[in-house]
Amino acid sequence: MTDLSADQNTDRNSQPGAGAPGPETHFGYRTVPLTEKQSLVDDVFHKVARRYDIMNDFMSGGLHRVWKDALVSKVRPPQSARPFELLDLAGGTGDVSFRVVKAGGAGTRATVADINTEMLAVGRERAEKRGLGDKVTFTEANAEALPFPDHSFDAVTIAFGIRNVPRIPLALTEMRRVLKPGGRAFVLEFSKVDVPLLDKIYETYSFKVIPELGKRVAGDAEPYQYLVESIRRFPNAEVFANMMREAGFSRVDFTRMTGGVVALHWGWRI
Amino acid sequence: MIQAQRPGHDVDPKLLEILVCPLTKAPLEYDRDRQELVSRAARLAYPIRDGIPIMLADEARKLDESELTR
Repeated sequence: MTDLSADQNTDRNSQPGAGAPGPETHFGYRTVPLTEKQSLVDDVFHKVARRYDIMNDFMSGGLHRVWKDALVSKVRPPQSARPFELLDLAGGTGDVSFRVVKAGGAGTRATVADINTEMLAVGRERAEKRGLGDKVTFTEANAEALPFPDHSFDAVTIAFGIRNVPRIPLALTEMRRVLKPGGRAFVLEFSKVDVPLLDKIYETYSFKVIPELGKRVAGDAEPYQYLVESIRRFPNAEVFANMMREAGFSRVDFTRMTGGVVALHWGWRI
Repeated sequence: MIQAQRPGHDVDPKLLEILVCPLTKAPLEYDRDRQELVSRAARLAYPIRDGIPIMLADEARKLDESELTR
């Protein structure tokens, strides 16, 4: 056996561990025990892993690419060979990581962490096909208990993933912990539409069209019913910005896109 | 140079350098034969499956006393 880790500056008392027994959370519109949410979310992604990115294209009319490109340009990896380490949470299929690595210079590398085996398998297969196997690595991990030391990454991203985490404040605290001082976290997530008329159209589209699309394209409506319900449950942009501040992030700000369908939040670890 | 042909994938050595126990944040020991990352502090061995470390306590094997005293 080899000791792998030389330098440790971690507070070993800050264990995320298991929460107090009994609390409840939301799975879409259902109220479920906190401990159950993760396995329910897992089921959703087990069902759709292979077709996840195709479904994103279908459901968003290709807009998810625009949103992710906006995320990448905010992350702004260096063009030079300067080392830049990205952690992409819930990034199983590698979509965001590949974009950041492509946008960055020779020193840009990405670590993908996802709780779902199938999504990671899809991601790694794609990384190898694209010749990115040495720049993007894959780990199965829980966003609430990250297996990385403090001060490990220059940036942490999570795109359309934070909504699915049972204890969001815990995940935000972990994101901040693994950032280097001066590093930034970016959260891309569905938000609240704040444009009159568009909100009505969005409502109809979400609850009528998306589950039907899910049934036809991915072969199952239920995961997409969860998707639209969980989007409605997620806090609005101002509330989420406050959650980031409470987790210790500094200079938290956000931008709304597509009339508020999506919001991109960011915060610094000072 | 001829690379040894092995089934499946090897774990990324750079990843092994940074991973810590998700519960204790303590360093891990790499058991190459068993393809496990051992956290003595948490008494858990995290499996590496097809080159992907599974850093979830729920998926980890509990270490018995004899393994801890080795």
